[in-house]
Formats: sequence, C-alpha cells, structure tokens
Amino acid sequence: MTSAQEWGAQLVARLTRVGIEMGEARELAGDALVEAEAAGIHPRAMYGPAVAYADTVAQAVRTAVVNAAPLPRVRGPVILRLRGVSKRYRRRQVLQGVDLSLRAGEVAAIVGANGSGKSTLLNICAGLTRATGGTVERTARIGYAPQQHGVAPLLTPEEHFRLFGAVHGMNRKKAVAIGTGLASRLGWRPRADVIASHLSGGTQQKLNVVLSELNRPELILLDEPYQGFDQASYLDFWDQVFHWRDGGAGVLVVTHLLHDLDRVDHVLELRPAEES
Amino acid sequence: MRQQWLHGFLDVCLLCLLAERRDYGRGLVERLVGAGFDEVPGGTLYPALLRLEKQGLVRTEREASVSGPPRKYYELTEDGRTAVLERQQAWQQFRSAMDGVVSSPVASVEEAGS
Repeated sequence: MTSAQEWGAQLVARLTRVGIEMGEARELAGDALVEAEAAGIHPRAMYGPAVAYADTVAQAVRTAVVNAAPLPRVRGPVILRLRGVSKRYRRRQVLQGVDLSLRAGEVAAIVGANGSGKSTLLNICAGLTRATGGTVERTARIGYAPQQHGVAPLLTPEEHFRLFGAVHGMNRKKAVAIGTGLASRLGWRPRADVIASHLSGGTQQKLNVVLSELNRPELILLDEPYQGFDQASYLDFWDQVFHWRDGGAGVLVVTHLLHDLDRVDHVLELRPAEES
Repeated sequence: MRQQWLHGFLDVCLLCLLAERRDYGRGLVERLVGAGFDEVPGGTLYPALLRLEKQGLVRTEREASVSGPPRKYYELTEDGRTAVLERQQAWQQFRSAMDGVVSSPVASVEEAGS
C-alpha cells in the first residue's frame, strides 16, 4: 500500500467511525485521492491529517442534512394524543387544558419558560406522572431520555446497553451492537473502561439518547438532551431527530431554544400557570 | 487573518465562480488565487464544495481527463442559481455596512495626525 492509499484507508476508517456509511466513506476518500493525484500532491499535504480531515468532511455532510428543507414524507397513525391534560400539585396548577396529536413521522417541540411544566408534561406522556385531569393515549413502545438521572453512575455505557436491552428482551450481544451503532451516529465511541459518572455531561446525555432508542420505539420522548452538548454534537442531535422521524417514529422534544422550530411539525407552548 | 475572512465567504465565492462557468476543484483554487486571494488548502475547499453539493446548490459530474482517472466537475443547479442572486444581494448590503464602519475610524486618525 502506498502512503497515499494508507491515508485514504485512514480516512475511510475514521469516516465510518463517526457515522458515515461505508459506501459514502469510500466514495469520499476515492474522490480525495483522485484530486490529490491529479494535482501531484500527497493527500496529507493537500488535505491535512486523515483523521482531522474526516471530522471536517463528516461535519459538512451532517450540517447539510440538518439544514436541508424537510422532505415530503409519510405521516403515520396518531401515536400520542393529549386531550385537556391538566396537572395540579396541591394548590399549584402546573398544566391546564393541554391538547396535542402527534403522528408517526412527526416531530413536536414543547417550549416554555422554566417552571411552565415542560418536564412534568413529558413525564405524563411517559407514564411516570399521573395527570390530574384529561386523557393521555399513546403507543406502548416508547423511548424516554430524561433531563437527569437517566444513567446509573457506576455502570459503563456497555453495561447500560446490556441492562436496557434486557428490559426489551434483547440478548447481550445484540444490545451492545445496537447501542454502539446508535452512539456512533452521535459521533461518540464509548470506551469500555469508563463508568457513566466519569463521562462529561454532554456524553452522559448522549448515553441517555442512545438508551431511549434501543428498542426501536414508535414514540421518542426527549428532555433537553443537548444540555452540555457542544455545537457539533448539537447538530448531530438534530440530524438524529430527523433520522428517527424519517424512520417512522414520532419525536417529542422539550427545548427552550427557539431557533430550530421552523423545522418541526408541532410547537406546543406552555405558560407558567398562576398560583391559585 | 485574510485566510479566516475568506473562510467565512468561501461558499459565496465558490457559488459565484461556478455561476461564471463549471470547474473542477483545482481550477477553482487557481481562479481564487488569480483574483488575489491566498491559496485555499484542500482541507478547506473540498468540505465546502461537499456542503454545497449536499445542500443541492451544486451538482457534480465525473469527467475523463487527459491524464489519470476521471475527475469531478462542479456546476450550479437551479437552486444554486437562485442562491447566487440572494447572496450577491446580501453581500452588497454587508459590504456597504463594512465600508461604513471600517473606513471611518481610519479617516479620523488621519485627520488627527495631520
């Protein structure tokens, strides 16, 4: 193997590791090598080190996916329906008269100030909190990534995959393979020897997001999963959301960032309820 | 510093060059150098072209070359042509804003010195 081909092989390896499909990775590397050869320059001199170049290229691919106009797509049956949902904690009215219909293949965002009940509503959708009034109907197969406390501090990511996989009746090998694959789509390669409490906040959230998708759910509930994400991971995250959507899942995201809302199907704005 | 500036405007430059005529990667670099810019490294150029392609503003075609394997030619799509018009307008506005801000302090320094 010439050193130019070696550079190309490194490029392909890194591209696939950060979630680009093998076919596309090979094509990108092939083009890069042809251009370098035509220019009579070694690819390392032309593009820089293979690993760094792969990360830039992967970013270019993902950014474009996120910013692309929404494709016409198939919307499936309603998988979550809220009718007049309200929640009261003692004398404090947290939610009142919330309605929402979410279909498979759609994304809904819950927005609102701190204390407006966003996380409470998500918990109600997940079935962890009981609504005081109204009705909640939803599919049984859900994935849920809470804001905090979703991970066990002393377990490694791989142990999480096995544990959560077992809940959905998967064997260990399958759970780890699926978990690792989902992680790579978020640009994350879990290390075998690091427990969850030693991961950065952003990586813990990636673990949460991966766990929420382990059972290929029909409805995915996410609470501020990009807190602690850097800009690149944030883009990867939305890439992932639209990937789930196009795969036919319904996605409900709690967010307080407003600039992404033109790409979602429903925006549910909650207002802080007054004391009564 | 100039390199960083060009980085921010590279997409616009590439779109406008391609509006003039289709080209391959190396040809675009040479035209930028001819216009007075510094040499754009491949590590910057090709990801930018890839981004434009993925955004549907540019399409590529492989064409046989006299020597060696076929190379990729880049040309604008219909969306790319619309984008060029939009960005030319945005650039005119940006440029007049820059001119207004950047030139005035220099003028006042000269006045103070004279």
